[in-house]
Amino acid sequence: MIDPIRLELIKNALVMVSDNMMVSVLRTSRSTLIKSNMDFSASILDGDGNMAAQGLALPGHLGATMPALQGCLDYYGDDIGPGDILANNDPYAGGSHLNDIFMFKPVYRDGVRVCFLGLILHHTDLGGRVAGGQAADSDEIFQEGLRIPPSKIYVADEPNETLLRVIEHNTRVPDTVLGDIRAQIAALITGANEIEKLIDTYGAEELTTYMAALIDYTERLVRNSIRELPDGEAEFTEYNDDDGVGGGPVTIHVKLTVKGDEIIADFTGTSPQMGGSLHTNYWFTASLTYAALRTMLPADTPNNVGFYRPITVIAPEGSWVNPRYPAALGGRGQGGYRVRTVVTGALTKLFPEHMPACPGGNEFGLSVTGMTAEHKRFLHVEFHNVTGRGGGPDADGQDAGPYWLGNMANTSVEIIEAENPLMIEEYGFLPDTGGPGKYRGALGMVRQYRLMADDAIVQLRADRHVYPCWGIFGGKPGGLSHSYFVRDGKREEAPSKFVRPMKKGETFRAEMAGSGGYGDPFERDASAVAEDVREEKISIAHAETEYGVVLDPQTLALDEVATAARRAQ
Amino acid sequence: MSGYRLGVDIGGTFTDIVLLSADGALYNKKILSTPDDYSRAIEDGVRALLDATGIRAGDIHEVAHGTTVATNAIIERKGVRVALITTEGFRDILEIARFRAPRLYDVSFRKPEALVERRLRFTVPERITAAGEVDLPLDEDAVARVAERCAASDVSAVAVCFINAYVDGQHEEAAAAILRDKLPGIPVTVSSELVPQIQEYERTSTAVVNAYIRPVIERYAERLETRLAEIGITAPVNIMQSNGGVLPAKIAARKPIFVIESGPAAGVVGAQRLGAKLGIDDCIVFDMGGTTAKATIIADGTFAMAPETEVGGDAALGHRMTQGGGYIVQAPTIDIAEVGAGGGSIAWIDSGGGIQVGPRSAGADPGPVCYGQGGQDATVTDANLLLGYLNPSALVGGELSLDRGGAERTIAALGEAIGQTTTDTAYGIHLIANARMMRALSSVSSERGLDPAHFPLMAFGGNGGVHVCNLAEALGATTVLVPPAAGLFSALGLLFADTEHQCIRAYYQPFDALDLDACNATFLALRDEADHLVAADGYAPDARRLACSAELKYVGQNTALALPVPDLPLTSDRLAALAESFAVAHEATFGYRSDQEQVQFVSLKAVGQGLSDTPRLPDRITLSLDALPTASTRSAYYGPDHGWLDTPVLPRTALGGDPQAGPLIVEEYDCTTVVRPGWQASLDSWNNIVVERMHQDSELQK
Repeated sequence: MIDPIRLELIKNALVMVSDNMMVSVLRTSRSTLIKSNMDFSASILDGDGNMAAQGLALPGHLGATMPALQGCLDYYGDDIGPGDILANNDPYAGGSHLNDIFMFKPVYRDGVRVCFLGLILHHTDLGGRVAGGQAADSDEIFQEGLRIPPSKIYVADEPNETLLRVIEHNTRVPDTVLGDIRAQIAALITGANEIEKLIDTYGAEELTTYMAALIDYTERLVRNSIRELPDGEAEFTEYNDDDGVGGGPVTIHVKLTVKGDEIIADFTGTSPQMGGSLHTNYWFTASLTYAALRTMLPADTPNNVGFYRPITVIAPEGSWVNPRYPAALGGRGQGGYRVRTVVTGALTKLFPEHMPACPGGNEFGLSVTGMTAEHKRFLHVEFHNVTGRGGGPDADGQDAGPYWLGNMANTSVEIIEAENPLMIEEYGFLPDTGGPGKYRGALGMVRQYRLMADDAIVQLRADRHVYPCWGIFGGKPGGLSHSYFVRDGKREEAPSKFVRPMKKGETFRAEMAGSGGYGDPFERDASAVAEDVREEKISIAHAETEYGVVLDPQTLALDEVATAARRAQ
Repeated sequence: MSGYRLGVDIGGTFTDIVLLSADGALYNKKILSTPDDYSRAIEDGVRALLDATGIRAGDIHEVAHGTTVATNAIIERKGVRVALITTEGFRDILEIARFRAPRLYDVSFRKPEALVERRLRFTVPERITAAGEVDLPLDEDAVARVAERCAASDVSAVAVCFINAYVDGQHEEAAAAILRDKLPGIPVTVSSELVPQIQEYERTSTAVVNAYIRPVIERYAERLETRLAEIGITAPVNIMQSNGGVLPAKIAARKPIFVIESGPAAGVVGAQRLGAKLGIDDCIVFDMGGTTAKATIIADGTFAMAPETEVGGDAALGHRMTQGGGYIVQAPTIDIAEVGAGGGSIAWIDSGGGIQVGPRSAGADPGPVCYGQGGQDATVTDANLLLGYLNPSALVGGELSLDRGGAERTIAALGEAIGQTTTDTAYGIHLIANARMMRALSSVSSERGLDPAHFPLMAFGGNGGVHVCNLAEALGATTVLVPPAAGLFSALGLLFADTEHQCIRAYYQPFDALDLDACNATFLALRDEADHLVAADGYAPDARRLACSAELKYVGQNTALALPVPDLPLTSDRLAALAESFAVAHEATFGYRSDQEQVQFVSLKAVGQGLSDTPRLPDRITLSLDALPTASTRSAYYGPDHGWLDTPVLPRTALGGDPQAGPLIVEEYDCTTVVRPGWQASLDSWNNIVVERMHQDSELQK
């Protein structure tokens, strides 16, 4: 008999353990990716590897933890014992992409495995041909860095020095990566000590029973929530401009079916596997689908396996969203955004009163590496995945509004400049790039860099140079992305994905796509359009051509008569 | 000195007022706050307290104040029209912010709107590099043109924040000089003067918030002093800052960003000073009110500081977890973890059949069901009433009588939905609230790598004493302290703080490339500045205390540690010693040291304290105006292992030095303390209730 009060107490206690693992990681890790971007997740799984609780879970980590542990269980079978810590970053053994190292620490009581603690961290660099591991133009996983198959990084409480040294010698930034790995291990040990206390309190058997009950309870909650949604079916298609090595465009298609208490997301119709590294493997595709669907569920729905059970993700093997070995996956973040936006698109069609148009941004992921004047290596990695929110369903997309399916902070200009020979010359909104609509999409943004060192290699992974962020229900797409270098006053256009050298004094300007609009722009409140002009977020010309709103060019007052005439045309 | 000190703490619901004599006689008063003009409740409350006690206004020689006025002015957008001037290319820094949301998957979340519209954000050509070199000189003509546009835009305040001004503020200062000249009477906030710290968005936000609320706070401080003067209180008013020191109101009002967490800081500083008096260097401070519970850890006599705070953000488990729900302010703030669990937190059943407590709160209006003010949702306070912890006929000294029947009906209905008895449901709500609060308590200790079981708990706030004993059991702690006037302890804590000026400079320099002379010049200037500020408050040289410290980190790491710098000037030997003490502290906090890695400065700090000529804490506190309930007995429930037990109910004064075994309930005007079976309570020399575990059995909370 499950006592709901005890269930809630144990749920809170498990979340507390994962909170504390997170605090521990934040306290002790080194890299900006962990500290500022918080690109990590903590979880607790039962002794068989079923996820029972997850703390902060980045969308890409939602469904990714269990398969990574399963990869370890498949390999080691019974050969796992107290004091071991398992590590795995192999996308072909349940991992996601090489930068994400999953680690698991089993906890035993009286010889029985009660649970696993899990911690996934994005590590800054694990070698490979391009620093940071994100290059779009890798063809095979072997080019992307160190592949750690299911391994033991701790064996019976002793560190596996061989593995640690291999990692140390295969990263460009050993201090950072080893520092983060130490933080990851320390947090798992902290978490294990706290779980031991929980076992003291409740007993191993009861904790096991209640972890299972927590999973069942979550499944019930999710099925009830889905049942409350009207049944329906919607299809949506999205595109990546190219595959990063000259192929494409890439079509991503989903059919979303809500029926009874289940949801099916079927990606049949998506392009087959191509070149490059932008593919999403099955579990990453599934994670992001779960994440997009989670927006329709109650905010406090626990993250555990019960949450996934009512959701089926069909991704044909050998397709862009489930490629075969040995496809490269380092740039999968890019493909992952398209999975998010395509599922969001289907949701917007199904639930127009809940979901907005496409968020802006070109999944901009930049790495710059070279030597400083003091002959020290620098490596700067920076992401601007999203620039703002799509318009609708009942308000404008907030400019630079944070994204509900990704919570990666931007990086401080001053910290970048203090630690790297780079100068950021501009960071701001691009007027006229918000997708016109009854509810305007957020503006696109610009980031401009100048190199202060003699030489560097720049790698960019971005998109939306060809296919914009879509508008919906009559709303128009946001402005496209666009980027170029300027050297000695000469401008050189850049594609969305490249690796190239950069010289001192050269600048790189990246204009990132705006968000989509929602509804007919001619229905937009004319005074809101006038306000946008006064805020210099749109130009007078844009107000007239896109919204049919006419302003006095001197006073910026709304000309209601001219507007009515223009809108009647 | 004879006479009285007055402490006033404004909270969202109540304004708490205490009067304390040098020998420790304490008089207190709780009245509803008056949000339209907070100083009105203060005047009314102080008048009422003076009338009730017969104390003369002229006998009050010091006033200390904790206030939420700054926070409210920001959240309610009641500041003034501000123009912001930034480096060309960075007009939108303020609005872009950090792309953080406090929660994922919430499509409706919108970050708070920027405090300065885009049309009032102006840029000027200028650029200083991270190394402090001028890459592009300031275009002074452009500044003059911007000044004209500000004048034409009818702004009441201006903020200036340029990229890398934390390294070198010369361009900001030059621009400010032009602006002040062209815009007489308009206050100009300069980021490098206010908070010369790295991170352009955070510093810009800080400068803007300062400009935005300064006129509001200045008016408030004036009004408060006028009202007090009308009563006859002419003593200077000191305002508590977020870092735990007080400053004269007129000075504090000029830099209002430093008083944002004024009220919470007062409680922590009170606990720390009280701890020091009692010889307790380590403790966990637990403050539970109506909507949230807060926890702070005091280790080695010091509380942890966060470098920034977020105004209007959600409750967060310490500053590292804050996520963009509010306005960032880079002001040193006592690091307090907070969870949305308080007496007003609502219990509810979700669609999966689970029972939840909070984060929604019934607040003070309508409040819990038992308040009988129309509240329909069962709250933690309703559960505590049913469990016998609260007196059904008297809360706030009998000013509020409780509707036990209403509470019982509501909780019985919840119990039915989950197949539990009313008592089990009420106890479950109490425990779930505790489980949520445990997250705050546990995170503050984890944050510093410490085991909470080894720390005594100091509990206050209206509900602190009701929950603390059970929390201590769950944490494995063995000692709990409930100070006098626990229900308005923040107001009391205000009176324990010292005058304190903090001067901070960013100093982003690795040790290996350090110019020692330049470093010493900066550090010594900073120390002089702190000393001058304390001197300006009227403290003689022997009453001034100066302490220097530096924030250090390994290059590339984001978290810095503050280390004392006992001797200036720095020499290469002293620098080596500093690096060593950093490595030791790093190992103690983070579990490792990395001698192969570079250590760097992040910032330098000088703190100047003005020491009062009388002790800040009396030798003991006597509650002089408590409506003392007479001793009685009532039945209270302590979980399935103990069941319902007849429990003696006592006033604090009925306890003595000899421990009395629980179960016991200590009932007072402003709070209730529950002593569980297996625990014992006594009074110490300061009139704190000391609750201790009677024997170390292995019985654990179920």
